[in-house]
Amino acid sequence: MKPADPPATVRAPGAGSAGPEGRRDRKDPNLAERLREAEAALVRRPRLSIRLRMVASLVLCFLASGAFSLGAFILLRKAEVKLHLLQTLERLDDRLLRVRALEDEKILSRADVDRALDGVRQADALLRSGSHALQEADRAIVPALLLQLGTCDRLLSVVRGAAEVGGRPGALSARDGAELRRAEAEGNRLLEVIIRRERSSLDGILRFAETGPLVLLGLQLVLFVGIILAFAKALVNPIRRFEGYTARIAAGDFSFITPTRRYRDEFSDLAVGVNQMLGELQAQQHRLVKGAKLAVVGTLTSGIAHELNNPLNNVAITTEALMEDLPTLSDKEKWRLLQDIYFETERASEIVKSLLDFTRQEKGEMVAVDLADVLGSTLRLAQNEMNLNNVSFTCQMPPDLPRVRGAANQLRQVFLNLLLNAIQAMPGGGRVWVSAGPQDEGKVCVEIRDEGTGIPAEVLPRIFDPFFTTKEPGQGTGLGLSVSLSIIRTFGGDMQVVSSLGRGTTVHTCLPRADEG
Amino acid sequence: MSEDRDVMVLDDEPIVGDRLRPALEKEGFTVEVFTDSAMAISRLKEKSFGVLVTDMKMRGPSGMDVLRFVREKAPKTQVIVITGYATIETSHEASAWGAYQFVAKPFKLKELVKLVDKAAKAATA
Repeated sequence: MKPADPPATVRAPGAGSAGPEGRRDRKDPNLAERLREAEAALVRRPRLSIRLRMVASLVLCFLASGAFSLGAFILLRKAEVKLHLLQTLERLDDRLLRVRALEDEKILSRADVDRALDGVRQADALLRSGSHALQEADRAIVPALLLQLGTCDRLLSVVRGAAEVGGRPGALSARDGAELRRAEAEGNRLLEVIIRRERSSLDGILRFAETGPLVLLGLQLVLFVGIILAFAKALVNPIRRFEGYTARIAAGDFSFITPTRRYRDEFSDLAVGVNQMLGELQAQQHRLVKGAKLAVVGTLTSGIAHELNNPLNNVAITTEALMEDLPTLSDKEKWRLLQDIYFETERASEIVKSLLDFTRQEKGEMVAVDLADVLGSTLRLAQNEMNLNNVSFTCQMPPDLPRVRGAANQLRQVFLNLLLNAIQAMPGGGRVWVSAGPQDEGKVCVEIRDEGTGIPAEVLPRIFDPFFTTKEPGQGTGLGLSVSLSIIRTFGGDMQVVSSLGRGTTVHTCLPRADEG
Repeated sequence: MSEDRDVMVLDDEPIVGDRLRPALEKEGFTVEVFTDSAMAISRLKEKSFGVLVTDMKMRGPSGMDVLRFVREKAPKTQVIVITGYATIETSHEASAWGAYQFVAKPFKLKELVKLVDKAAKAATA
């Protein structure tokens, strides 16, 4: 004896890729309206395009380097002025020292006096025009220095004037000579203070000019890294997000993309485009569900024709009997025949009503649905199909079955599909078990089990694919299970199929409870 | 031959038997009515009928099963098959198995009685 194959299980594909909270689309007929709303929400945000951010970053980089260059230029200019000043002051200092030394030796030449005077005047002019290049502390002593230089200038001019006349620099009066010496000494002292301070200031500037470029390089590195990271974020994050969108769209969740950021950019334009595509997909999905429903009605046609022809025939032959035998029938018999006609008419209209209930367009709004009602009416609809195929059913439901979230008519379509599949899996007749009950995680599950041929393990993973069918051409569209799954997913539920070849198939359909909020 | 006037009516719709019985009895037929095909088959094992009027689709053995059974056990019995949903395939199958006539629902009482009469005569011939 061949050992029985272990039962194979297939979960509906893409399960868990998007939870019920991700499914915001409640198939309301105002698809165009919702599409417009989603687009308005996306477009309403202030625009901050990636292109604008790129241009802004480049401008920022340019301005930063420009500022650094300007700073360097100003610094160099300052150093240059300072160097010039320093040279002049050093020269003057030197000359004054020399004048003082030669005066002491009494061998002062006319050229020395000329050079000293020249240095005094140059320094005087420079200090008057370029004292801004000096340190704050040095600027404070400039007036004192100028005073001493003025004295030097005046007295040295007298000395030189004497030299002009006499060939050799003449001596000053004792008082003027002492004053000149004092002024020269004080000038030397002040000059040396200034020179020392300015030299160290220039050294500082030069050190700064040496280390500055390294700091600048570091700062630029930080700036570039910051810009690159910002752009990576602006480009990669939306791409990741769109990856997520495509995954959930592939799993059958066609809800619109809603804004996640405060600004809109080129990706928002893409989102608007994707939403348009999603709108089209939703419309397509609605058409598919409708088409699959009509296909089911087509499957039911023979059963329904048979079911309708029986009461019609009963009415016809009873009426005929009544007309034929009217004079000879007793009142009691006439009453019985009329009663037959009445009830058979009722029966026919019930059949038409259940069919109309099934095909009627409903809004598809999510409401609390009584599963027992839905399963009951579906079983009635499939009853004749079962009779014709020698299939009987057992239905087990607790009396206090919680309501589920969904739309009765679409659930009826799903369960009718499953029942018809079960019937078709048992060409020689058999039994279908239908049971429902609450499950954990706030779900209510319906189990439809047949004892039919079962589904081969290699086929099982494909049974939810659209247009996949194992039936003969013309017998099935291959849309039943895929549409059923999309309906159940829309309601936040899921389906699972367990099948064992030769033993039968069980389909679990789980839906969230209605009282879960 | 008295046995040719014996008619069995088999339909899981009780009203069909209820209406056919008086109409056929008025024409002098002896009528046995069944609504369950398995019971009808066991009756057919005991007794042969001139004409069998049977529905096609029924719970349990179908009209086609009953037709095959009758063809084997009582080749002289004429079988009229009535059906709520006539397709070319089923009518071909019924003819292939030697059904006398194939009648679609809804039918006329008078016409069916006439047909049974003709079939009974064919059975006698």
